[in-house]
Amino acid sequence: MSVGAADLLTESEGEGNLATAPGAEIAARSPLQLFWRRLRGDKVALIALAFIVLLLLIAVLAGPIRKIFGAPPPNLQDSGTLDDFGTPTYDFPKHIMGVDDLGRDVFSRVLYGARVSLEVALAATGIAVACGTVAGMIAGYYRGWVDTLISRSIDVLLAFPILLLGLGLGSACSLKGCLGGVIKPGISVVIFIISLSSSLYFARIIRGQVLSLREKEFIEASKSLGASNLRIIFKEVLPNLVAPIIVYSTLIIPTNILFEAALSFLGVGVKAPNPSWGQMIADAVSIFNTAWWYMFFPGLALLLTVLAFNLVGDGLQDALNPKSGR
Amino acid sequence: MTRSFRTIGLGALAAVALAVAGCGGGGSDEKSTSSTPGGKKAPLNGAKKGGTLSVVSQADFVDIDCGKAYYQYDYMLCYATQRPLYSYAPGDPNNVQPDMAADKPEISPDGKTVTIKIRTGVKFSPPVNREVTSKDVKYAIERMFFSSVNNGYAGSYMGDIVGAKTGAKPGTKIEGIETPDDQTIVIKLKKGTGAVVAQALSLPGSAPVPEDYAAKYDAKAQSTYKNFVVSTGPYMIQQDAQGKAIGYKAGKTTTVVRNPNWDAKTDRKPAPLDGFTFKSGNDPAVAAKQIYQGTAQVSGDFAPLPPDIKAGLTQYKGQLNLNPNGAFRYVAMNTSKKPFNNVDIRRAVIAAFDRKAIQLSRGGDTIGDVASHFLPPGIPGFEEAGGQKGPSLDYLANERGDMAVAQKYMKAAGFPSGKYNGPEITMIGVNTGTGKKAAQVTQAQFEKVGFKVNLKLVTQDSMYSKFCQIPKSGYDVCPNVAWGKDFNDPQSLLDVPFNGENIIQEGNSNHALFDDPEINQAMDKAKLIVDLQERAQAWGKIDTQLMEKGAAIPWLWDKQPNINSKDVNAVLNEFTSNWDLNYTGLK
Amino acid sequence: MGTYIIRRLLWVLVLLFAVTALTFVVFTVLPSADPALLRAGRQPSPQLVEQIRKNFGLDRPKYEQFCNYVGDISPVWFFDCRNRHVLGIIPSLKTPDVKAPDFGFSYQNDTPVIDQITSRLPATIGLTVGAVLIWLLIGLTVGTISAIKSRSLVDRLSMGAALIAISAPVYWLGLVSLFLFSNDIGKVHIFRGAGSYQPITDGVFGWAAALVLPWLVLAAAFSAFYARLLRGNLIETMSEDYIRTARAKGLNERRVIFRHGMRSAITPIVTILGLDIGILLGGAILTESVFNIPGIGRLAYDSIARSDLPVIQGTVLFGAFFIVIMNLIVDIAYAFLDPRVRY
Repeated sequence: MSVGAADLLTESEGEGNLATAPGAEIAARSPLQLFWRRLRGDKVALIALAFIVLLLLIAVLAGPIRKIFGAPPPNLQDSGTLDDFGTPTYDFPKHIMGVDDLGRDVFSRVLYGARVSLEVALAATGIAVACGTVAGMIAGYYRGWVDTLISRSIDVLLAFPILLLGLGLGSACSLKGCLGGVIKPGISVVIFIISLSSSLYFARIIRGQVLSLREKEFIEASKSLGASNLRIIFKEVLPNLVAPIIVYSTLIIPTNILFEAALSFLGVGVKAPNPSWGQMIADAVSIFNTAWWYMFFPGLALLLTVLAFNLVGDGLQDALNPKSGR
Repeated sequence: MTRSFRTIGLGALAAVALAVAGCGGGGSDEKSTSSTPGGKKAPLNGAKKGGTLSVVSQADFVDIDCGKAYYQYDYMLCYATQRPLYSYAPGDPNNVQPDMAADKPEISPDGKTVTIKIRTGVKFSPPVNREVTSKDVKYAIERMFFSSVNNGYAGSYMGDIVGAKTGAKPGTKIEGIETPDDQTIVIKLKKGTGAVVAQALSLPGSAPVPEDYAAKYDAKAQSTYKNFVVSTGPYMIQQDAQGKAIGYKAGKTTTVVRNPNWDAKTDRKPAPLDGFTFKSGNDPAVAAKQIYQGTAQVSGDFAPLPPDIKAGLTQYKGQLNLNPNGAFRYVAMNTSKKPFNNVDIRRAVIAAFDRKAIQLSRGGDTIGDVASHFLPPGIPGFEEAGGQKGPSLDYLANERGDMAVAQKYMKAAGFPSGKYNGPEITMIGVNTGTGKKAAQVTQAQFEKVGFKVNLKLVTQDSMYSKFCQIPKSGYDVCPNVAWGKDFNDPQSLLDVPFNGENIIQEGNSNHALFDDPEINQAMDKAKLIVDLQERAQAWGKIDTQLMEKGAAIPWLWDKQPNINSKDVNAVLNEFTSNWDLNYTGLK
Repeated sequence: MGTYIIRRLLWVLVLLFAVTALTFVVFTVLPSADPALLRAGRQPSPQLVEQIRKNFGLDRPKYEQFCNYVGDISPVWFFDCRNRHVLGIIPSLKTPDVKAPDFGFSYQNDTPVIDQITSRLPATIGLTVGAVLIWLLIGLTVGTISAIKSRSLVDRLSMGAALIAISAPVYWLGLVSLFLFSNDIGKVHIFRGAGSYQPITDGVFGWAAALVLPWLVLAAAFSAFYARLLRGNLIETMSEDYIRTARAKGLNERRVIFRHGMRSAITPIVTILGLDIGILLGGAILTESVFNIPGIGRLAYDSIARSDLPVIQGTVLFGAFFIVIMNLIVDIAYAFLDPRVRY
């Protein structure tokens, strides 16, 4: 999955476009309660959901949790924990995940790193979902030049090696910010890049859903009753999109977490010295054979987080579309 | 290290000093006798004649045109393929020796005229094949000023030659360089800076270039001479019958073979090898392992990472050489504006600064000594400026930092709490590797004395070309800057980074924007001193004055690690801090 | 069909132009470094910096630089960028430049960009091809077995493993596997480690041996993804009416699965395969970085770090080219295979 995000985008795209178009048909005839009942039966998804809740708590309460474990603050450097060559040591009970190459506590940094991962993934996904839904609805409902514009810009974006675009924007915006200071250096660059790429992708999915919805009888009926377009979009179309929006949002979140981590790994991301998992792994590359803990724990945290979101996403999708046969 | 220097923009960094170089692993136990010009050869402890060598590197050469070359790794190639007027032999980094020149330079007492005699019997490699004359040296110096060549140091060190101007049209003659006969070259100067000009002739740019052959290539917008370069040294880049340098494959390999026209009788260099291949694009961690284990032979431009240095000191004894290379790393505070225009605030920061921690972030004692002033060990003036201990100033006394002293100076600066509480400052650092680490350590040091720091980490190239070299960009602190010598003279270390007259609007290297009339005057005076002992005195004193004024925070005097495989009799040139390919052979 | 293909080809040109323009905006209009200063060496005179800007063409307005760039890479060009007038609309009337595409020279070392890219290409192709073969082998096998034995222990275990593989960041997986299995720093010396890459021309065995670990790591997530996808498709197909009919006819199960089920379940996978190959040929930055393979991805990454604009432009365009071309191939293949597709 070397190109990380881009590949995962094609992944979800594949499932969305090719396997089935789950939301449209099913949500139309099954209310949310049914969906929720099916989901409740999925133990794995529920455990994963619990893990995500725990993760959110960790992100919010990183400070107190760190203190309970007696770990030093995440940015506190202690050169006393380094050997004569400046390589970090693993002094187990004192630093449960060892220290990094500046003598900072890895455990503490992994805890605080959860913040960045979740913040970016949720913010970017939120923006992408909002923009993507609106754009997708307009494109799918009105067709015409809006549709052409959106579809074509998706084509361009898909043709672009997306990590390179991220790197480029990241280094360009790291100086003074971009778009007249709207995008400030640091985390907002990353959010911008991720939400840009995933909102176009999201728009494409929503557009597909709307295209099939607008042919449905109840829409025709509203139209013949003289309802305004806006009213139809918000009162008739949007409610029918809720289920697919939820499913695809959950599918995008893990992708976006990996995307954020990949950008951080390549040097675009949250401002140092604040920790992020991708950056920690990148910093560990030069010493990973001697200080394995510095590379291992942030990666493990990343793996578990992405896995949890994927499991929940799978669960939601199954609950919407029992045909997929898990 | 070479690599990091290169990217750090240390420029030439040719030299390295130090007779005290007993340091570290010691791959080379070579002690060459100081050879008489063209005479005795250095002994070759067990090195045999013949064989080829592989030199592994991270990056490629920046420029294989030695009139243009201004990076340490490029010099490694240039000193083996070209004969500049002067050069340094292994084991004797303090005394420059005639190479293309027949004898020491004669400098007139007023320092305004330098006269050099060159050797007879040296021939250019094919396809030129003729004997070198003084006119070829004159052209070599002239072309450094051409807009198509744009040598990086010519302006700084030879700009005082009468009639010399950087960016000149290709073919422009310099009237201040005279060649009364085929063996004599006389350089006339506007100011008495002959001592520095003579030193600069030890850089590869002074190696002869045949005008009749090279002029057509130099006439292009960017000189293409590098593709057809001819040699005077023992080796040359492999070429085809037309003289095209086919051995150079950019970004990959450079194949070097013996120069058939090189005559051992005219040179002190033994040149035991048949040739060597430079291989670029290697990862330092991997390359180090390959060299230690013998699948590759010597290191070119890269510094082994701390774990590999550790391995060199423990597991692979005798395969690692650590050599002080005449450079210092420092944290530059923008002294041209608030808050660091206040000397007491600067002193407070220096006092609080844990220089040991930042040295450790780079790899500890093995990669260099914690600095207590600017001039590094081995450079004339080092002892005069206080040696290892440095000047006796209370804010330099403890390398771990002293908060009590810091508070004292902060109070003197008008912060009664002993902590700074002014607006946030901007710090521009590097976003990868050891630079990133050093920047974060620096941030923590500034925070200790109360600063709120906005740390921006950008690519190395951004840091220099958008911020730290651009005074207008308005940075407050540049934590990842360094400066290295061009040759063994204190002027090449202190003048550019701390002389206010050298501040320029683009490409500035006085990162502290330090402009103190007293220091400027002292430097201008010291430049004109011809006697070496007096020079050392004068520049050593300037170094101490800089520390008294808290011009910047020096924290490291670099040592350069070089490694070699067991089957190689590797000989280090302490001046260049690279393996000397004219002396290195196989066992 | 002919007009469709022509329309698609024209669209490819438009796409590549758009990518070029976007790249130009991101990297040249918002540069993160000043190439002229980087080249000028230390303490440059203002004239020297100006001179270098001029040599690089950076002193010209941005639109003119863009026009020149497009003019250089386009084999036929009719426009004088500096004086903004048309050289000739019909090539035969006036002679415009007809030449090989010129991607310019690296600011860093003056070598032609195209040479750098072609010299890096074999490594990237080698990495991609090997990984593709591995992930098809693993992904399709596991996917089929999982679908046939749906809800069995084997299915659950392999789908669980697949989800983990998809969730692991590839660079981390690479580091962990190097730490465990590489023959220089690993705990168990099995595979050749990072940076042992050698060109295939130096010996096929050495080339393959060095690439085994990168292949496996790169293929891990893809295998998992393909297995999941195939399993889902296959299960769904197997519940279709025509499969029931085939079974009812008394065909043996193996034949039903492979002749009838597989055929339609695998079509979407072929599409995605095309796109994935296109993306990877443009450079697998993360894998190439971790294993230190001198491919296109690393070249792109390094050139961004050094603000080497011509190389950035070249590599991005090159990557986009592969993606677009693979897209085109997939679409045209579809149009041929599926008569329902009408555009």
